[in-house]
Amino acid sequence: MSAPSTAKPKQCDYFDLFEIPRKLWIEMPALEKKFLELSWKLHPDKFVNASPEEQEHSLKHSSELNDAYRVLRDPVARVEYLLALEGTRIEGEHKQQAPPELLEEVFELNESLDELREARASGSDLASLKAHLESAEKNFQEKLGEVDARLQETARQWDASIDASASDTDRKGIMARLNELLNRRSYIRNLVTNVQKELL
Amino acid sequence: MARTVGIDLGTTNSLVACIDPQTGAPKCIPGPSGSTLCPSVVSLDPDGSIIVGEPARRRLLTQPERTIYSVKRLMGRGVADIQDELKLFPFRIDSTSKNVIRVRLGDKFFTPPEISAFILRELKNWAEAYFGESVGRAVITVPAYFNDAQRQATKDAGKLAGLEVLRLVNEPTAAALAYGLHEKQRGHVAVYDFGGGTFDISILKLISSDEGDIYQVLSTNGDTHLGGDDIDNLLQAFVHEKILQQHRVDFSPHSELAQELRKELIAIKHQLSESEAATLRFPLPNDAVYVQEFERGAFEALIRPIVDRTMGPVRQALADAKLKPGEIEEVVLVGGATRTPLIRRTVQEYFDRRPHTELNPDEVVALGAAVQANILDRGVSNMLLLDVTPLSLGIETYGGAVSKVIPRNSTIPASAQEMYTTGVDNQTGIDIHVLQGERELAKDCRSLARFTLKVPPAPAGLPRIEVKFLIDANGILQVGAKDTRTGEQRTIEVQPSYGISDTEIERMLEESIEYAEQDFAERQAIEARTEAETILAATQKALGTPQAAILRAEERAAIDAAVAALKESVGGSDYKLIRKRIDELNNATMHLAELVMNSAVSTALQGRKLAEV
Repeated sequence: MSAPSTAKPKQCDYFDLFEIPRKLWIEMPALEKKFLELSWKLHPDKFVNASPEEQEHSLKHSSELNDAYRVLRDPVARVEYLLALEGTRIEGEHKQQAPPELLEEVFELNESLDELREARASGSDLASLKAHLESAEKNFQEKLGEVDARLQETARQWDASIDASASDTDRKGIMARLNELLNRRSYIRNLVTNVQKELL
Repeated sequence: MARTVGIDLGTTNSLVACIDPQTGAPKCIPGPSGSTLCPSVVSLDPDGSIIVGEPARRRLLTQPERTIYSVKRLMGRGVADIQDELKLFPFRIDSTSKNVIRVRLGDKFFTPPEISAFILRELKNWAEAYFGESVGRAVITVPAYFNDAQRQATKDAGKLAGLEVLRLVNEPTAAALAYGLHEKQRGHVAVYDFGGGTFDISILKLISSDEGDIYQVLSTNGDTHLGGDDIDNLLQAFVHEKILQQHRVDFSPHSELAQELRKELIAIKHQLSESEAATLRFPLPNDAVYVQEFERGAFEALIRPIVDRTMGPVRQALADAKLKPGEIEEVVLVGGATRTPLIRRTVQEYFDRRPHTELNPDEVVALGAAVQANILDRGVSNMLLLDVTPLSLGIETYGGAVSKVIPRNSTIPASAQEMYTTGVDNQTGIDIHVLQGERELAKDCRSLARFTLKVPPAPAGLPRIEVKFLIDANGILQVGAKDTRTGEQRTIEVQPSYGISDTEIERMLEESIEYAEQDFAERQAIEARTEAETILAATQKALGTPQAAILRAEERAAIDAAVAALKESVGGSDYKLIRKRIDELNNATMHLAELVMNSAVSTALQGRKLAEV
């Protein structure tokens, strides 16, 4: 199997499609209203008796509209999309690597996960191990909350930099921080998912 | 122009519906027996003709070897996926077939889409008889949780039945459409659809906007192999065991006796929805009679595990819609199995709301399909349906992992682009494996398609191929590729992993003519000819009576001319012309008919006393 290469293909600009500025705070009711309005115009159901060209056009643009709405509606996907659009999303190398200040806790967590698996295999008592993991999960959920709060804070900085027509250097700095937060978020998110799977 | 209808192609029963031109409301079209339900049963007569519906259902008992039911369970599946099904259902599968399932009826083999096409064709005939016009296009409903292969198989069936499939609509969405019209609801609606073989839950948001009403599906979940059939299987297994213990009678679950027992148990199940107890009396081959008293409480304890299995998908769908049970304003029950009091109670308790059951749960999906058919056909513009894809679309990456490119519950049409390149110099192909499902490993997901992207030889990493995965409004996958260096566009021939190839479909289309009834015009012509023969014979007879002499010369000439004209038209196949000439002859013979009638009346009165008249 060949993996997709990291370069994302060019797409239409979702912010342009919804006629909104390239900012990270989006007013949801207005976004939904615009989505429904465009859906009335573009949905394939409106083109059943049209020419094949018009049907093709409807399929292309209504799928783009749905893709755009799906991404912009989700605060995290929205940041990722913005960075990809600006050409500053860098993922990969940090994905498998724990952020330095979390190293110790991650190490401890992985040990607990191993213990739980061993205990399960040998049929010994799981209750105390589970309790331990549950508190670890709670700890990482809190960290996820912290990352989300910092993402929001940095997103506000981004919006302010747009309003103030800030310099490229400033904007690049904000984007680098957003990128770092996204990577950290996906790392912690994966950890939490793994723990939840073991606890099921 | 040919008519458009809505069709519910169900596991147990299928229905066809249209918009009543008088009332503007959807209605189901009855078949020759007067019932709107067409049992989804197909039988191959020893003379080679195909029998569908109620007559086929009766043959389940007399000719089980030539008859099949619940074929929907096999749609879009491979031989390997249905091994569990084979233990429970009397499907006779061609054991030599590796991928595509072939079912044996008598001495012939058919694929599941071909069998479904026989059902669709029967419904098409019902509708054509009702309209007196041909039917060309249809909206066909599918379980919301059907995957790409199951949808493709349904679309193939439509094509084989001679129908242009305007849209595949999800069953719970269709039901919401029928209810929305009926109830003028707003807000969040949960549709709980427990059919003969499939279970779906959909959460919708009903929105009023300036342009009209929008039915937006927020999430959907379900189990395509969970239905009323499973309750029947459970009851059957329970009773088999009892009969074995008490009477030492063991019979094959696929025998005629088993079919007979199943029929009785379904009747018991229905009785228990109405009354607290029911008694089974089943004569056994050894002249003993097996008697079993069923009480509703014990019955409910038996089937509770099945009902509980529906609640996992319900919780997941709500979580995906980011809603709590209390935020659902309306609950709609669809499917015959929702007549079961335990199911009604379970749903009512969970949502803390009395569910809607006003519309007939057997008909509501077909009614919604007719509404959508009308919207599409006539371009009715004050309603819009936004549906979702039930399963995530993914691509296999290194190590057999799956990278999700379109998440489940994305509004459709939806798309995703991925860029591919080569790993070694002069590599000429890139293998791509497309999957559907929520699991992380490719082996645990449903394989949709494998294909190889052709790449012109070049140094590693230089080619740039953009692949676009698109799920269309029917929930069916399309794949396109573009070489971004040369700009060359290509559509990729996606060979569905367990589907039927286009060439096979073409072959089946040719073969289906063998079983197809004559087309609409031909059937009409045959009927018109029969009628013409009747009226010609009657005219001939009337002209031989003494009353004919009373006719004036021009009357006689008009009759002779009309007779000649009708005789001439009967030679052709224009049924409209034949009908026109029949009407003309009827008009020309009006006076003659009157004379003959009067004479007949006076003859009949002769010899009878006036008091008796």
